[in-house]
Amino acid sequence: MTVLSLIESLKLDVHNGGDGNRSVSRGVVGDLLSFVMGGAPEGAAWVTLQTHVNLAAVAVLKEIPLVILASGRTPDPELLDRCKKENIALATAAGSPFEICGALHDLGLKG
Amino acid sequence: MDSHYEVEFTVRGDDFLAAGEASNQIKETLIMLGVPSAISRRASVITYEAEMNLVIHSGGGTLRAVITPEKLTIQATDRGPGIPDLHLAMREGFSTAPDRVREMGFGAGMGLPNIKRNSDNLEIESEVGKGTTLTATILFHEGPGDRR
Ligand SMILES: Nc1ncnc2c1ncn2[C@@H]1O[C@H](COP(=O)(O)OP(=O)(O)O)[C@@H](O)[C@H]1O
Ligand SMILES: [Mg+2]
Repeated sequence: MTVLSLIESLKLDVHNGGDGNRSVSRGVVGDLLSFVMGGAPEGAAWVTLQTHVNLAAVAVLKEIPLVILASGRTPDPELLDRCKKENIALATAAGSPFEICGALHDLGLKG
Repeated sequence: MDSHYEVEFTVRGDDFLAAGEASNQIKETLIMLGVPSAISRRASVITYEAEMNLVIHSGGGTLRAVITPEKLTIQATDRGPGIPDLHLAMREGFSTAPDRVREMGFGAGMGLPNIKRNSDNLEIESEVGKGTTLTATILFHEGPGDRR
């Protein structure tokens, strides 16, 4: 599925649309950057409670097309700027990380 | 590919805004040189973790990548406090990162293990009070004895 269709299915609050056509077939959840760095599958959507600028570097290096901030979290301005610059989609979900991962799983995404 | 290609970046200590920039540049260099993506992905894990250790633990240093037809060598050098017990530092979960850094999701004690897992060879030379040099190698052509 694409970034855009995923954003629409989950009714995410979009901060930066990124490349809506990029494909997402996997997911990763975590707030430890080294955990995501070491284990995120290629092209995964990343669900996290972190909101700071360093998420963007991890997303770029791991080729993560979409970062979902869970539990209604607001991105730091520096994170939003960096995601715009790097063309990474950034959105907020009202639900908890558990709820979002459940929804992503229902959409057919694998870990 | 040229027979020898080298890039070097200065990484500033405690600069979390610029953190990751050197790794990003190295990744772009590898892509530009046509290095296979399976290798550049492993390289990114190594450069990022090494770069973050320069930012968090050593007061900064330099991050270098050397590409030859045979291998990619990533080297992080600093004149920081050094690592007193390398064996302990390599253990998954061990970290001396301060709380303010942990709150950002760093300091999981997974950096060196991540580097190890993605390297074909890893050497760390460290002296307390003098500094640390980490050298990680990825081989481009796998021989029969290789893990991957
Ligand atoms: N360049 C360095 N200079 C000094 N100490 C370091 C350096 N790199 C790693 N260390 C030490 O090794 C520990 C483990 O490193 P690492 O596995 O990357 O975990 P983390 O960075 O999450 O603490 C660090 O907490 C620190 O004590
Ligand atoms: Mg580390």
